[in-house]
Amino acid sequence: MSEAISKEAFQALIDRAGLTLTPPQFDELRIAYGYLQAMRERVRKPRGYDAEPAHIFKPAER
Amino acid sequence: MDPTLLTIADAAKLISKKKLSPVELVSACIAKTEKLEPTLNAYVTFTPDLALKAAKVAESEVMAGKVRSPMHGIPVGLKDIYDTAGTRTTGHSRLLKDRIPTEDAFTVAKLRESGAVITGKLGTFEFAIGGPSFDILSPPARNPWDPTRMTGGSSSGSGAAVAAGMVLGATGSDTGGSIRSPSSLCGLAGIKPTYGLLSRRGILPLSQTLDHAGPMCWTVEDAAIMLQGMAGYDALDPAAANVVVKDYTGQIGASVKGKTIGIIRHFYEEDHVAAPSVVAAMETAIDVFKSLGCIVKEITLPPLMDFAATGLIIMSSEAFSIHEKDLQATPELYGEIGRDRIMMGGLLTGGDYVQAMRQRRELCVAVADAMLGVDCLFTASSPFPAPEIDKVPKWLMYQKPSITMPFNVTGQPAMTVCAGYEEGSGLPLAFQLVGNAFDEPTLFQLGAAYEAVTSWRSVRPSLA
Repeated sequence: MSEAISKEAFQALIDRAGLTLTPPQFDELRIAYGYLQAMRERVRKPRGYDAEPAHIFKPAER
Repeated sequence: MDPTLLTIADAAKLISKKKLSPVELVSACIAKTEKLEPTLNAYVTFTPDLALKAAKVAESEVMAGKVRSPMHGIPVGLKDIYDTAGTRTTGHSRLLKDRIPTEDAFTVAKLRESGAVITGKLGTFEFAIGGPSFDILSPPARNPWDPTRMTGGSSSGSGAAVAAGMVLGATGSDTGGSIRSPSSLCGLAGIKPTYGLLSRRGILPLSQTLDHAGPMCWTVEDAAIMLQGMAGYDALDPAAANVVVKDYTGQIGASVKGKTIGIIRHFYEEDHVAAPSVVAAMETAIDVFKSLGCIVKEITLPPLMDFAATGLIIMSSEAFSIHEKDLQATPELYGEIGRDRIMMGGLLTGGDYVQAMRQRRELCVAVADAMLGVDCLFTASSPFPAPEIDKVPKWLMYQKPSITMPFNVTGQPAMTVCAGYEEGSGLPLAFQLVGNAFDEPTLFQLGAAYEAVTSWRSVRPSLA
């Protein structure tokens, strides 16, 4: 699990998402955010410009 | 004979021969539900009157010689995220407690066309993610093998209802394992078919690119029969694959000698270390396949956590996009677990989502490469038997990688098959068979061959 995000930085994320948390919920989600951070790092690997995402679509099929 | 404990295959034979009446069968399931529901909480909305009415129609058609399919007259429950015209569909959430759709989900309409009798709406983790929860529309489903245990989720009521014989089949949905987890913990056969095979239209979404519909039944053959009743191209589902619907029961009974099975051992022995009882059951199951003449080969895939991270970031992002307004305006209407899990998606960025989607493509290629030369993959389904219902960590799926999520990420068909029962607790254990895209028939062939030479299907929970 990654290092805990600061309260200020976490509050900024909550504000950006437009959410309102109770104080206990804020504390719990701030801790749980560490798990999410680890996953964010896990999907970041060295990739070239040509690394396409899985949801590229063909216009004729839409 | 207790008709509620018949397989769909056997009940269908009796119905077609007019030796079992749909009304008799549905009435027995209703009586069993009335007896067990106070303990198991399988239903959100039970509709016995509608079921009896449909059973009477089915009976008159059968008596007139018009048997629509093997699903004709078979009692089936629907996870309460499948829309039903005139019957509320709530997602097991207070947010939608009075929501009454005007149309059936595409797959529900297909089941009705096949002659299935809908008995009502089954419990789910709230919006297919939040549970087991005690603070939502009604209490969570309990496991018929031991009601102090959870059923797994999110198709929790479906797991309980089928295992207990309240219905002979149920629909589930699977975004990260929500068909396969309750099928594992309740001792069922449940399949997440290939992405795009079954329509998602009219099913409350959790994550549009990972959501799959599918059947949950007592046996593999029943799952094949029920999948046949749900399949068909839906031009109004943008993800629907315009493919020929195969004969899902046609290969059942054929020899599996020479089939090659790739064993993904590191998923349950290293990446998410499973309980010793699960590891032992996997070895026994592999030996059974060898005894059937299958060729077994070790396969290494990318680490399970790569799949879990990819799937969870995609799921969380897509789920938040669906629930954003309601979470901002009325968070108090959600249960705590569902609310908090979905809120996590709001903390991700567009960059996170696209990186996960890039990794998804890489993982799909890696698994496709690993499948060259094998007919299917084999791994554990759940790393543990059913835990106590009030001791499930809220953030478990973030802490320990799910063994089912990889095949939501790749979209391949994946089926859970009961692999026996844990010594002492008697709780079910299970493995997964994973196929190439649209090759569900091979999974049914192998799963049914396994069931035919093991005795697990003759054991029912005491609450059945």
